[in-house]
Amino acid sequence: MRIALVGFVLRRVHHNLWQLFWTHVLTCGTVAMTLFVFGAFMLVEINLTHLLKDWGEQIQLTAYLAKKLEPAALQALLKRVETLPEVERVRHISQEQAWRDFQSALGAQSSLLEGLPRDVLPASLEISLKPARHDGTVVEQLAQRLKEEKAITIVDYPQEWVEGLELIVLAVEWAKWIFGGVLFLATFFIVGSTVKLAMLARQAEVEIMQLVGASEELIQAPFVLEGMIQGVVGGAVALALLWVGYLSLKNETTSLAGFLAPLGQIQFLDWQNIALLLVIGWLLGATASVISLRRFLKTWNSSRGER
Amino acid sequence: MIQLFHVSKTYLPNYRALTDISLEVKRGEFVFLGGPSGAGKSTLLKLLFRQEEPSEGQILIDGKNVTRLPSRQVAQLRRKIGLIFQEFKLLPDLTVLDNVALAAEVIGISKKVSRAKAYQLLRELGLKERYDSKPLSLSGGEQQRVAIARALVNEPMLVLADEPTGNLDAEVAEETMRLLFKIRDKGATIVVATHDLNLINRYGTRVILLQRGALADDLKLASWQENGK
Repeated sequence: MRIALVGFVLRRVHHNLWQLFWTHVLTCGTVAMTLFVFGAFMLVEINLTHLLKDWGEQIQLTAYLAKKLEPAALQALLKRVETLPEVERVRHISQEQAWRDFQSALGAQSSLLEGLPRDVLPASLEISLKPARHDGTVVEQLAQRLKEEKAITIVDYPQEWVEGLELIVLAVEWAKWIFGGVLFLATFFIVGSTVKLAMLARQAEVEIMQLVGASEELIQAPFVLEGMIQGVVGGAVALALLWVGYLSLKNETTSLAGFLAPLGQIQFLDWQNIALLLVIGWLLGATASVISLRRFLKTWNSSRGER
Repeated sequence: MIQLFHVSKTYLPNYRALTDISLEVKRGEFVFLGGPSGAGKSTLLKLLFRQEEPSEGQILIDGKNVTRLPSRQVAQLRRKIGLIFQEFKLLPDLTVLDNVALAAEVIGISKKVSRAKAYQLLRELGLKERYDSKPLSLSGGEQQRVAIARALVNEPMLVLADEPTGNLDAEVAEETMRLLFKIRDKGATIVVATHDLNLINRYGTRVILLQRGALADDLKLASWQENGK
């Protein structure tokens, strides 16, 4: 397209945006609401995933050992466990150490332990996993392998917690696409209707442009550009609302912040997700206007005898 | 400039608007397309600027077959044709100057050059004082002159006018016709569709008479001119 035509299209867009200002504002608002809901799901998903990762990194398996394990057998066991590919570090907790840890955990109540033999608690191995080896399946498989060792009686790990949280993340992800999909579809039709309204308002102009030899691309370009602008502006408004929501959660809801404090700070969308939200807005506006425009022009042209 | 070979147009389900029209209009000719209302004049013009396609036959404009042009080439064709309508078809929210310049801008001429060309034409047509007015504040004759300026701004080789004087009083209609003859004198081919027999008789130029969608013979033309039927 020639430079002069780019200037022409931009002038038409400017003129048309003002002509149907409030219609465009309402459409931008609808796009913004849709993208806000979608972005809110993204935020929850990102933070839950982050939470899961944090928890996963703290996961330790505790393998309780059989009593009266010979030192040589213990050393051999330690060596075997240490060489497993998932294992980062192994710490041996002797019966004596376990007793002392339990005692200090009880604190002032430690007198309850009086009279009990000091070898009542089993020795154990505390096994830390390597980073990126924290998903439920890996942990489960490792636990099964450890159970095959004769010297190990019980393997304990917080599997249910991890699996539960993984399910929640999955549910949020599905909800994001299902709710988002329905809202996208609704917004798609609203943007399309705005384009139709704009076309109806400018029917005379379009007819004259066709009669004086304007190309179809030139006639359609301002409408498509308006759709894109609505999408991107809607995306930007949604991001601003999400940012405001994020700040108030972060700064003002102290109880929630306190609850989440041990698990790290709440995170906002990263640059890729911000770009994704804007691109979705842009695509939504562009496709809705192109499809609506083509359908409108086809019907209109055939009603006037044009092909 | 214009050649029609056995052109027919049928509207669904079964209305025959034009039947077996063959004719030729030479470059630089001024032709009236006459006939009563419903004779098929507007349909014939629509076929020429390709708002509609013929059901049968071939149409050549400037040697090019326009019968089944793809839409991209229809736009190219229309850039060579100036169109004038009875109802002017001006945009009420644009100024007179912008209405005329629009036709040049949409084919890629810069805004500055388009406006300069538009202003020059408006001056030639005696509208330089009204260039900044909105069309609805102009008289019918002035609005038709603006429409003529728009039709001429891209220097067309062919001007098609559909009842250009239909909404004008006799004096303004004559002024409009004089303008069209001036455009012909500069080299353009002009086809004016009208049902106004007085207008046709006044200028004594070539008349193509349509009756019920078919070309009428010279006898019928003479009879129509004589009796006004």
